[in-house]
Amino acid sequence: MRVVSNGLAVLACLSVASTAYGQVSARDIIERVDRITRGESSRGVATMEVVTEHWERQVTMELWSLGTDHSLVRVLSPAREAGTATLMAEDDIWNYLPKVDRTIKVPASMMGGSWMGSHFTNDDLVKESQLVDDYDIEVAFDGDRDSTTVWEFRLTPKPEAPVVWGHVAFRVRQDDYMPLWAKYYDEDGGLSRTMIYSEFRELGDRVVPTVMDMRPEDKPGERTTVRYDELEFDIDIDRSFFSLQSLRRRR
Amino acid sequence: MSESPWWRIGWRNLGRHRKRTVITALGLAVGYFAVVFLVGWVEGITAEMVENATGLVSGQIEIHASEYRPERSLYETIGGREGTDVAQMLREIAADSAVVAAAPRVYAGGLVSSGESTSAGMFMGIDPQLEPTLSRFLDELSAGRLPEPGRNELVIGTEMARQLVAGVGDEVVVVAPGADGSMGNDLFRIAGIFRTGMAELDATFAVLHLGDLQTLVVLEPGRIHEVAVSTADPWIAADTAARLAANLAPADLGLEVAPWTELRPEMVEYVALAQSFYFVIFVVVFAIAIFGVANTMLMATFERRREFAVMLALGTTPRSVVLTVISEAFAMGLLSLLIGSAITFPLMIWWHNAPPDLSWLYGEVTMFGALLTPSLRVEYNLAVWLQSGVALVLTALLAALYPAVRAARVPPADTLSGL
Repeated sequence: MRVVSNGLAVLACLSVASTAYGQVSARDIIERVDRITRGESSRGVATMEVVTEHWERQVTMELWSLGTDHSLVRVLSPAREAGTATLMAEDDIWNYLPKVDRTIKVPASMMGGSWMGSHFTNDDLVKESQLVDDYDIEVAFDGDRDSTTVWEFRLTPKPEAPVVWGHVAFRVRQDDYMPLWAKYYDEDGGLSRTMIYSEFRELGDRVVPTVMDMRPEDKPGERTTVRYDELEFDIDIDRSFFSLQSLRRRR
Repeated sequence: MSESPWWRIGWRNLGRHRKRTVITALGLAVGYFAVVFLVGWVEGITAEMVENATGLVSGQIEIHASEYRPERSLYETIGGREGTDVAQMLREIAADSAVVAAAPRVYAGGLVSSGESTSAGMFMGIDPQLEPTLSRFLDELSAGRLPEPGRNELVIGTEMARQLVAGVGDEVVVVAPGADGSMGNDLFRIAGIFRTGMAELDATFAVLHLGDLQTLVVLEPGRIHEVAVSTADPWIAADTAARLAANLAPADLGLEVAPWTELRPEMVEYVALAQSFYFVIFVVVFAIAIFGVANTMLMATFERRREFAVMLALGTTPRSVVLTVISEAFAMGLLSLLIGSAITFPLMIWWHNAPPDLSWLYGEVTMFGALLTPSLRVEYNLAVWLQSGVALVLTALLAALYPAVRAARVPPADTLSGL
């Protein structure tokens, strides 16, 4: 009798341990994906193509990032908007408008609004880096899909997390930790938008997805595609770079 | 009637106890005043609500591209991507005799920023010549003046001015996503500040010159979102809208011509509810009056029971006794109506033309997105005046029925012998 109950206790401990292990490893994988694609710091040049029902446009921009909390984007072309810049520091966003030579902090009520006409919201820019903080992460699938071994994660917002999604599904390729797609679901469980990562090639010193494609579900045919043309990691840059002064600095 | 002695007896009986007659008649007269005044006041509030909700900003009729509502997308301009000949369209609308004014508008959402502070703004592009003929919210600016064309000027609400810590003459940055996907931005100078008393409007609306807003959000001059139309009386808006829709149909612009009754169905329902309430007022006021009159008549007939006994003993028919009492009540009713009218009409005319200020009683109230100023504004409703006049006389007659029957049934012998 005693032996049996001991055995049960051991089993119980084991199952708790394995759940805990699963949780930690899911987080580890996400963090590792993040480290690869972001690096400690980075600088790049990317072209953003936005296609909507009403217009299409291409914007080329230079981007810098430091850790997860600081980044800066400056528009290079079209000429009419060159110099327009966005600074993200912690949870705040500032836009610099060269035409009027003013810096505007995006108010909280506009954080859900579109960033530079794209299908990304201002919130996306500051929240994207906080997956691990804002979500409970579990492995929803571990195995082969379309002859590729992948993990699929289900990210459920923590109760107090300031997140607009009901949950997020995220697929990662196992052999090189490349993200394949992320699907964002609303609170009713309906698919709201899909981000697809593609064209994995060496840029800087590592293989990264060089194209990201955001497609909103409610506007078929519309998309925002970001294509990296240059990328370098772990550059010599510090916090002082991510200031309102450098935001205003014209090229 | 004057031929009949019973009518004369009834009339003269009124004079037997003058104080009591006057007090009872006053009671009925106040009842009459209460009904006419309460209905007039409710109508005044309703009329002000409808006038403010439709006259303050929106107009009684709104004309949009059929896809514009409810999303209010920047791209859904009248006539689609090609736009329309705005002047021609305004001429066609103004040709309708029920139309008092029509004004074009452009809308866009964005940000207004001054120094450290930034507000989300709803930009409204107007024609400063036409707009004041239609809406009232810009009639009396609390400071400054309307924007002039081509000078990058704007008018904001008091609450937005407070949030931005900015005043007339200050420069603000205006940012709005343009129709070509660019981020339209420019410096504007605050030309004026308006105050509607409605927090939402005062905090979010920014009024620009139509052409300036079109430039900012990259819309061609022929592209507008709305033509607002006003009619002399809000209640002819629905018919006028139907006519305008038919008149504008040949241009084939894919328009929606919506009267306020369609845009604000909740307000139409409220008006219907208020009107059904008039009946309740009638019943309550006259039910109270009827018992007052009945009481007086009962007393008056009881006092005179010996007199009725004599009449009956002398051969007067019970029917004639009933008639005497009824005649007395009828005369009382007419007298009350006379006093009532003498009290009511001057007061109604006064309060209709110069509504007394009631701000000591209650502050400004917003209802269904319409601002109500605290005043005792009353509306005339002749039907109600007539109906309550008739109701008053009927009340007096009805109240006298039971006392009249009692009087006719007085037993002559017993009463006269003092039993």
